[in-house]
Amino acid sequence: MLKFAIRNLLSRSVRSLLCLMGLTIAIAGMVGLFSIAGGLEETVSQTFGRIKGIVAMQPGAPIPLFSRIPRSWGEEIGEISGIAIVNPEIWSRVNMIEDKPVISPPRFLFGTELPSRLQLKHGIYRDAIYDGRFLSLEDQGTLNTVVSRQIAEQHHKQVGDIISVNGQAMTIVGLYECGSMLLDVAIILDIDVVRDITRFDPNSVSCFYLEQSGEVNNDLLVKNIKDHFRGRELASWQPASLALANSSQSNILKDFVNAIDQSLKGSSDKTPVEDKANAKGKQNQSTDADAKIAESDQQQSALEVRSAADWGERLETFTADLDIFLGLMTGIGVLIAMLSIINTMLMSVMERIVDFGILKANGWSNRDVMLLITAESSLLGVFGGILGCILGLIAIVIVNWKFVNQVHLYASPGLLLFGVVFSTLLGISGGLYPAWWTTRMTPIDAIRRG
Amino acid sequence: MIEVRDVAKIHQSGETEVHALQGVSCHFPGQRFSFILGPSGSGKSTLLYLLGALDVPSAGEIFVQNRSLSTLNNNERDTYRREKVGFVFQNFNLLKNLNALENVLAPYLPLGVSTEQKKQAEELLKQVGLGHRITHRPSQLSGGEQQRVAIARALLKRPLLILADEPTGELDTKTGEEIFHCLRDMSEQYKTTVVIVTHDERYIRETDNILRLRDGKIAEEIVDQ
Ligand SMILES: Nc1ncnc2c1ncn2[C@@H]1O[C@H](COP(=O)(O)OP(=O)(O)O)[C@@H](O)[C@H]1O
Ligand SMILES: [Mg+2]
Repeated sequence: MLKFAIRNLLSRSVRSLLCLMGLTIAIAGMVGLFSIAGGLEETVSQTFGRIKGIVAMQPGAPIPLFSRIPRSWGEEIGEISGIAIVNPEIWSRVNMIEDKPVISPPRFLFGTELPSRLQLKHGIYRDAIYDGRFLSLEDQGTLNTVVSRQIAEQHHKQVGDIISVNGQAMTIVGLYECGSMLLDVAIILDIDVVRDITRFDPNSVSCFYLEQSGEVNNDLLVKNIKDHFRGRELASWQPASLALANSSQSNILKDFVNAIDQSLKGSSDKTPVEDKANAKGKQNQSTDADAKIAESDQQQSALEVRSAADWGERLETFTADLDIFLGLMTGIGVLIAMLSIINTMLMSVMERIVDFGILKANGWSNRDVMLLITAESSLLGVFGGILGCILGLIAIVIVNWKFVNQVHLYASPGLLLFGVVFSTLLGISGGLYPAWWTTRMTPIDAIRRG
Repeated sequence: MIEVRDVAKIHQSGETEVHALQGVSCHFPGQRFSFILGPSGSGKSTLLYLLGALDVPSAGEIFVQNRSLSTLNNNERDTYRREKVGFVFQNFNLLKNLNALENVLAPYLPLGVSTEQKKQAEELLKQVGLGHRITHRPSQLSGGEQQRVAIARALLKRPLLILADEPTGELDTKTGEEIFHCLRDMSEQYKTTVVIVTHDERYIRETDNILRLRDGKIAEEIVDQ
């Protein structure tokens, strides 16, 4: 019977092939699009799964790069019970490496206070060193740096080489590889050196990385820190002003950050930064924002504290939104593929009414005939699914290989399995209507037609 | 063996009703050749399809081996067609995607074909003179050869009854004769009852039964008990 079905499909090879191609492309598109979300999720879990500690930064700033908080708060935080280590960090965007402008993927100067950094039980970068060494106390005040494998390979550097970053000649003393697109962007130096290079406000830092002592429950700890800084005066982060101020910033990054910012705001319970403030232009903005803060609820904390799980969760709501969007996009493709299956099967069924009449005259039941038709259409579905997944995977591999540092697409085995199963279901359901159609014909009607 | 009692058949063709059969009663004895004759449109095919349970009468009853066909449910009707009745049609009606052997086996495809059935099918094809054409597709066979495949297909199930609707209608005289020869040979060998609709009275023999229809009614019945 299956052989018969295959034979029937092969006998109208062009039509079957076209239908198969339609399905293949639809499924490949589905796999391809959902691999974007899959890649993002994988990156998120690879990134935030590793970060054990919590980060204290400016409320509303989507990432530490855009955050500014008073340097002196570090000591206060250190006194809160449950905090073992406070590590001040400064983040700054890199514009030039080896006299070439850095656009995408982005690179960041990451200045970290070495004495406290070295006391951390888990230092993600320190633990990911695979060549050379991590920074030590002797590297304070020097241009000794640790960079990722990605950065080293992009500029053909090894341990011991000099790399020019924003015009500063730095010596690479170690290489790390975290394997996450979001982490392997840092060029690590002593905090004071970065402060000098970037003329960072001497009384501020970007954020504090906090390691817990383990004595206090994480959620409670986060709450305690926030409570401690409740009512302090600190300007909320202004996405537009920073984006405009830093004009060398690439559009992609800007858009991405804005998108994250939107989704974070959407899901957070804080008062969002008013759009009005953005519209009023650059000059007035800081004063305007200050006024806003003064007006608004004094009970707000001046410090945002995020644990890795928090970050992950927020990004996951973002990918969930992305999934809906991708679902809609693929839905269209899938609908077209489905119609094409129905069309192909209906046409071939109408042409073969006489055949079905013959088969029924020979004792085939309606069920047998329906089975034959759905077997044919589900064969189309299975092969379309498999080919689609293969095509999608090939596309993903090519994209990942071509844009190693920019994007990471990931199609999980679950997604592939879903692709094949879904396509098979499409095939079956696409055959059901034509199959049902034949059962309304009595055999003689069919034969008489012939 | 077959009793037809007061059978009427009304075909619905859009708004108009066509009274294809109007109160036909007749008898077809077992293991014999019976012919249904009559002008075109007189209801010959309609009656034949009713005998094969391919259609249901609007009124009246048909008994095959004393069992009324109208008491069969869908499943039993499928089984009746698969196991008891072999059809041979005017335009051969083979499946073009299957070769000769597979066409003979077609009734059993949904149930799975046993090696025993396969051997029997090959044997039958040899008997109808197509031993060398087993793997040919219908398009590679002549009309007469295709009809012989159809006869082999009808015979594989060792049917009680072979129903043939103008089996030689599309064949030349010589091939037509061969087909009748084949049919008579095989039905004798397999002790099958044969009912044939035809225009062509040339192939009728003295001992055959004849039923003549006109306008859906019986014009003449010659049954030699
Ligand atoms: N499915 C049908 N729908 C409408 N009319 C039909 C149908 N089948 C047969 N008829 C009509 O019934 C009459 C008898 O047809 P048929 O049994 O095919 O005659 P014959 O085989 O003797 O030529 C004809 O007038 C034909 O047009
Ligand atoms: Mg007819």
